[in-house]
Amino acid sequence: MEIGLIAIGAGLAVGLGALGTGYAQARIGAAAMAAIAEKPELTGRAILLVALPETLVILGFAVAAMAILLLA
Amino acid sequence: MRKIAVVGPRQMLAPALERLHGARSVELICAASVREIPAEPLPPDPVRDGRIAALRSLTVRLDGLLELSGEAPAGEGAERHTGVVDAAAVARDLDAVAADVRERLGAIEALEEEQALLPRYVRPMRAILGLVPELARLNDAQLRGLGLETIALVLATEDDALLDALRSELVHRIGDGRFELVSAREQAGVLGCLLVFSRERSDAVHALLRDEQVRHLPLPQRYEHLSLRSALRAIEQRLTELPDQEARARADLARLLAEHCGDWVVARAGLGAELERLEAHALAAVTARAFVLAGWVPEPALPGVRAALADALGDAVAVEELRVPARDAETPVLLHQPAPARPFESLVRFLDTPRSGTLDPTVLMAIFMPVMFGAMVGDVVYGAILLGLALWGRRRFGAGSPLARDLGSVLAVGSAWAIGFGFLYGEALGNAARRAFGLDALWFYRGSPDALEPLLLFALALGAAHVVLGVVLGAWQGWRDGRPRDSLEKVGTLLVLIGLFTVAGVVSDVLGTGALPVAAIVAIVGLVLVLTLHGALGAVTGALELVGTVGNILSYLRLAAVGLASVYLAIVANEFAVVAPAGIGVVVAVLLHALNVALAGFSPTVQALRLHYVEFFQKFLTGGGRPFRPFGAEGVAGR
Repeated sequence: MEIGLIAIGAGLAVGLGALGTGYAQARIGAAAMAAIAEKPELTGRAILLVALPETLVILGFAVAAMAILLLA
Repeated sequence: MRKIAVVGPRQMLAPALERLHGARSVELICAASVREIPAEPLPPDPVRDGRIAALRSLTVRLDGLLELSGEAPAGEGAERHTGVVDAAAVARDLDAVAADVRERLGAIEALEEEQALLPRYVRPMRAILGLVPELARLNDAQLRGLGLETIALVLATEDDALLDALRSELVHRIGDGRFELVSAREQAGVLGCLLVFSRERSDAVHALLRDEQVRHLPLPQRYEHLSLRSALRAIEQRLTELPDQEARARADLARLLAEHCGDWVVARAGLGAELERLEAHALAAVTARAFVLAGWVPEPALPGVRAALADALGDAVAVEELRVPARDAETPVLLHQPAPARPFESLVRFLDTPRSGTLDPTVLMAIFMPVMFGAMVGDVVYGAILLGLALWGRRRFGAGSPLARDLGSVLAVGSAWAIGFGFLYGEALGNAARRAFGLDALWFYRGSPDALEPLLLFALALGAAHVVLGVVLGAWQGWRDGRPRDSLEKVGTLLVLIGLFTVAGVVSDVLGTGALPVAAIVAIVGLVLVLTLHGALGAVTGALELVGTVGNILSYLRLAAVGLASVYLAIVANEFAVVAPAGIGVVVAVLLHALNVALAGFSPTVQALRLHYVEFFQKFLTGGGRPFRPFGAEGVAGR
């Protein structure tokens, strides 16, 4: 397959995943900050919640890596 | 952790509390609420309550002064104090100093206010002076000689008709040609005006302004007698002097506080200790002749507590162990680690404190987290820089902040691993050492196109090991806690994972195809266990649980992703240094490497933490533990 198309596909996989992660983290982060302002002892939990959507971009990275390794 | 009851003659309650306070090993609880203790709460004592109120008031005042001086209440000297503090003497000392402190604070506040207020006059006064240059040239004596008075007005209006109305009213009250009214629009909605008139008409003008409620700009009193020009000069001159005066006032206050600080810290520790002892009386239970105290004590400290009480009070006071139900949620938790793992305790507590009797993951975190950090950074030079920064930060901030000390230690261990992985990857400032000195990778170089596969496999292998360990610990924890269903469910998950790993081994030609039937049987058994143990909705929740666990392993791919981002940023920086014109290229390269080091210190730490909190701890950690807070440790908290 055309190497350029594979590269575009890999980029899209990571980029769209990152967009989704960013959108989710923005909303969770805002809510987490509000919660921390009320209860500072929730900081650890808040980090955990903010970090959760990162799985999306990591899965995007996994798909991109598979595209490069298997198709290129 | 042992639950104890201390029993003795009622008159020995105070000395017993004093001994327990000194031992700093017992967390007192309300004795009257313990089922096994048939005694009433200690009745209130007005004398004791009065003393408590007085001590609270004194400690609050001392805390305020110590905060003002920048000294922590439990600073140096807090542990030196042993005897009882003369509260009356401390109060007299505070009264004597308080007036001086208040006076200096008042002076500082006045100077701050002046600095905030005066600039507001400068701009309008300059604008008004520009309107009447003739007036600007007159000095005070000349103005007085002319018998003139000036008033600056600020009209909050967009409408110039208001100015005309004011002018016609002035004509009406003091006569035409007896005043001059000039104006300039300072900003939208604000009209700055200057009214010049004969001093003889002063009363009439002021009456008009008062009647019509026209807001004028009164100068501070010290500038009122000056002409506009002189007042403006004096204000500008004053604004240049104020910062120095404020600095001198602050230094004066700091000197005054420093003279007393040492004594206050010692007094605060003594008063705090007495207050703690007096307040602890409320936790005691009594009968007609005896007192009972109840509390928690770590098992190794119990003989010491017994000995401390026996030495001071003899056989009159007895320590009895109380029965504690297994997995009692009320039991406080004292995390106790080997020294190398201790800095990681803060990171575990950051999420949650493990419940009493459950697994404490600190040691495991101390093993895995630095490895993950090192695997992500994986650069000899970056690792060395971070190691230096960590050791410097630990020395610089560690004395004042236990958290900073712990984080410094965690970063130092991670950085050491980063140097080790740097040699495995053959990276020092990315590919700089590889290009300059031919540094070869002991394992594989991450910047090579062939590195993606081994890097991903390494990340997945580390993830699989970590998650499997978490699942095994979860199964063991469930079995220990008498939750066989949870334990079997974890075993089922484990079997499915083994099946999947075997299939992966067969696909990648590591294992022969003969392993496939075994893998299928193991996976099916595991699947059945997981799906059936989840109850009626097992087909859905069990499947989700399994998918989640596989997702957890895939999540470790971030170790590769963050590492690749780091190494490619370093390569780009090095390319800049080579391709761009000499000076610029090197500057850009240095900036990019600095950015990369900053990212390397932050991002891998957060990612490694997340992998522990989300992927690892959730498999077995039972949180909600209550940290052990020994009676008597308050005075030295933070040390």
